[in-house]
Amino acid sequence: MKHSVLAAFRHGITPRLLSWLGVFLVGVSAFLYGALAEGAPRTDADRVYALAQNFGCPVCDGQSVAESDSVVARNIRAQIARRVDQGRSNDAIIAELETAFPGNDYTPGATGLSSLVWILPVVASVAGLSGLFFVFLRWQRETQSIATPVDEKLVTEWLSDATTTTAPTGATEPGDV
Amino acid sequence: MSNATLGTLLVTLGAVSALCGVVLGVFALFGWRVNFWRACTLLVGAMMAAALGAVLVMERALITRDFTVAFVAQNGSSRTPPLFNVATLWSALEGSILLWTLVLCGYVLAVVVKFNSRRHDPMMAPVMLTLFVVCAFFFLVMVGPAQPFIAFDPLPLPNGQPFDGPGPNPLLQNHILMAFHPPILYLGYVGFTVPFAFAMAALVTGRVGEGWLLATRRWTVMAWGFLTSGVILGAWWSYETLGWGGYWGWDPVENVSLLPWLTGTAFIHSVMVQERRPMLRVWNLSLVIATFSLTILGTFITRSGALESVHAFVESGIGPWFLAFFALIVAVSLALIVWRGDVLRSPGRIDSPLSREGAFLLNNVVFAVFAFVVLLGTIFPLIVEAVNGSRLSVGSPYFERMTMPIGFVLLFLMAVAPVLPWRKASSGVLSRRLIWPAWLGVAAILLSVLLGARGAAPLLAFGLGGFAGGAALRQLVLSTRRAGLRGLIGRTNGGMIVHLGVVLVAVALAASNSYVRQETFELSTGDTAELAGHTFTFVGTDLVEYENRVERQAGVRVDGGQVYAPAIAVYDFAGRLIGIPSVRSTLTDDVALSIANLSDDGQTVSLRVTVQPLVVWLWIGGLVMAVGTLLAIIPGSRRTSLMAGAVPHGVVQTPLEQPLNR
Amino acid sequence: MTTQAPNRAAWIVAPVAVVLCLLMLLLATRAPGSTNLNAVVGKGKLAPSLAGQTLDGEVFDLDAHRGRFVVVNFFSTTCVPCIREHPELVSFHERYAPSGFAEVVSVAFDDSAANVAAFFTKYGGDWPVIAQDTGSIAVSYGVALVPESVLVADNGEVIDKLVGGVTASQLESVIATYLESSQT
Repeated sequence: MKHSVLAAFRHGITPRLLSWLGVFLVGVSAFLYGALAEGAPRTDADRVYALAQNFGCPVCDGQSVAESDSVVARNIRAQIARRVDQGRSNDAIIAELETAFPGNDYTPGATGLSSLVWILPVVASVAGLSGLFFVFLRWQRETQSIATPVDEKLVTEWLSDATTTTAPTGATEPGDV
Repeated sequence: MSNATLGTLLVTLGAVSALCGVVLGVFALFGWRVNFWRACTLLVGAMMAAALGAVLVMERALITRDFTVAFVAQNGSSRTPPLFNVATLWSALEGSILLWTLVLCGYVLAVVVKFNSRRHDPMMAPVMLTLFVVCAFFFLVMVGPAQPFIAFDPLPLPNGQPFDGPGPNPLLQNHILMAFHPPILYLGYVGFTVPFAFAMAALVTGRVGEGWLLATRRWTVMAWGFLTSGVILGAWWSYETLGWGGYWGWDPVENVSLLPWLTGTAFIHSVMVQERRPMLRVWNLSLVIATFSLTILGTFITRSGALESVHAFVESGIGPWFLAFFALIVAVSLALIVWRGDVLRSPGRIDSPLSREGAFLLNNVVFAVFAFVVLLGTIFPLIVEAVNGSRLSVGSPYFERMTMPIGFVLLFLMAVAPVLPWRKASSGVLSRRLIWPAWLGVAAILLSVLLGARGAAPLLAFGLGGFAGGAALRQLVLSTRRAGLRGLIGRTNGGMIVHLGVVLVAVALAASNSYVRQETFELSTGDTAELAGHTFTFVGTDLVEYENRVERQAGVRVDGGQVYAPAIAVYDFAGRLIGIPSVRSTLTDDVALSIANLSDDGQTVSLRVTVQPLVVWLWIGGLVMAVGTLLAIIPGSRRTSLMAGAVPHGVVQTPLEQPLNR
Repeated sequence: MTTQAPNRAAWIVAPVAVVLCLLMLLLATRAPGSTNLNAVVGKGKLAPSLAGQTLDGEVFDLDAHRGRFVVVNFFSTTCVPCIREHPELVSFHERYAPSGFAEVVSVAFDDSAANVAAFFTKYGGDWPVIAQDTGSIAVSYGVALVPESVLVADNGEVIDKLVGGVTASQLESVIATYLESSQT
């Protein structure tokens, strides 16, 4: 919107500019208030539920402990509730469960091999976006030259022909793109 | 003739017809085209008759409980209610393949009918060859590893009772949605075969211009609409039956149904760029190939047991077949792309990044990254296990964290792209067109904050949702003002209605995910619990007997009003215990009740309560998307002029290159 | 242009093909449905604490049994392999408990005390049985399914975990292997 702001300054303050200012002021302040203000207090039950969603049930193929009603999932849920009650931290609770049931922590670690699952998507996004950026950059630069080499050759040939003979009418647009 | 014999004969007939079609297609490809189209029509007719006949024979066997067919003996039962008896066909592998084949033959028949007027076009030979190859694969799967019609000798049970089957998996016979979700999903999956066949034909004939896109555009949109509906119906089904208060668990099977949807959505958008500018040829071909091959890969993953999933399909011998077929598709496609490298170079370019086509390009990058994240997260445990042998899980926290920013970018693009003109936008135009959508977004944030919503992520989602919804509404208001109700049809306007549906789904996802409350209460009869402003009173248990199950229901009075009855059901044959949740839906929030445990005397219940706002808008949003897709398929008023502008440059015009489906 | 272009396509296609080949190899070689429920919690480390009230009303504490091999047996009264392995545990107990060489302790997995008591009356077995509030014990021992037995050495270390039922001779041989390896 920077351009519109500049344009507006050139043409004076327009009602639309004021409207956009209103959008930003109201939008940003409402968003900041809502994002920073204290929400409803998170109860222990909420924490237990969130933790249970973050740990896979060892015997139920793809369900989390929060979702499954198998005995082991119920045991683990109860254990999480006990640990939350005792005031343990989230990381400590998940770490303890991961020792007992290895490989079921739903959040892959940020170190070693498992960090790839976090890094590769970022790499892919950066590669995709910068690829797009450079393509646009090239297109901007090439704005004038859109004829293919073949077209250019035709033009040169025609030009060299034109020096000796008269150009046939209708062939004046060799690179008709 | 017994059902088993008749069915086997029909499947064999289908397989033979498909194989003949393959041979015919190969001959036609090399120029031997005598009576090609007539033979095609005959063979397709035979395949369709075989597939339809086989499905009818199987349904007859299921309805009459003919246990001499092994499939019926394994999956049917005399106690299954009639509707689910019909749906038993797609409750197990062999029947699913049968249904898939029928849908496939239906599509192929539609192609033959629709393109009858183009029968002399050289492109139709490779199109039909591709379709025949796919059909042959599915028929051969039914001849080989997944035979639906194996004969069975139903001996009486030891207690002298006549033989009876176990019935389908109880989870698959306790909700009406099970009758609709798989067929609609298949209509979506299989539908992408048609654009795939045309893409292959474009590569084979070297006519990789825009003709094949125009020819298959509505097929793609229709398949996309079915896939969308199928995925959302699946989420709804799991929400209503699995009883954990969720609708999407980022389970491998769910993820592989999302993958073709993502590439298909990217394709639907990037097609519009190629129609305007002769560019993105390889990209669009790749997206179509990716979408189709991902449906095959998805079937492999769900049916081979390669990944653990709650959708416990029985493991079977079809895994290697599907993997080999996937390999074949990929190998042939890549080889064709390399071979056609010279003609695939696209001469087109885009004037300005701040244009409709620029936004579509960005959209495609974002969707590609989205698909990459989902695929990577799904197979990452396999990669880790292969590298160092250790086990690792990638679950919902990962997917939510990675896909949330992608969702925000997509919502933002949905707001800005529809108001961008083609070629080049000036800031003045943008400022004029976006101001009202922007105010709508601000209003959405303001309203949410006033209603008590807190947290950055959901507020951002609501704001961007309002912004995107505003942009879609703006387009619809303008076009209806111009053309009345006809302003709701056509690709652009239908597309905007789809966008409105997406906004509803996105807002519902953000709200229900961010503000979900769940707690398990231990209640004795008469006790009352409270969660998120709702009260739950346990009024007592009840025993209800049905034809195929006995339910122990726990009566729970919600907010002092109606009594809801989540239950634990015992299915009498397998003795399996299945929880049946009970959901109270309102437009503002859903209360889902399920029983985690019920004491033997029925005096105490361990009741799991999930309260989620706006869940119902997921299904409403899905419906809006389906309706929008339908409206998009109806030709709009601008179609003719739009397609005239889409004729590619420097490409020899042949019948297929000209607009079809007028 | 015509000679260069196919090369360019090949350059794009080649890495895609390599990645896809690896993916297919990965999918093709993966054994279906393999899990690692057999992972041993803290093998070679001290066993997690295990204390609770037994059916007899006494207090069992694993730490009080240092100097003996202890079979911590997780079971439920409705599971068929549990019923099948029970006589083996009885004969193992009869052979080694009187001398104080080994002990068995059973921990019920999601069962009521009454059912467990009836189970032991029916199938025999005279050793400490913990039937109440066992969920926490099961979690700390990483028990997902029963029957499962964790063998604890005389110094309190976990020797091994046996999933799906044990036999007396199997227990003996695991202990014998452990004794041999700890001597060398």
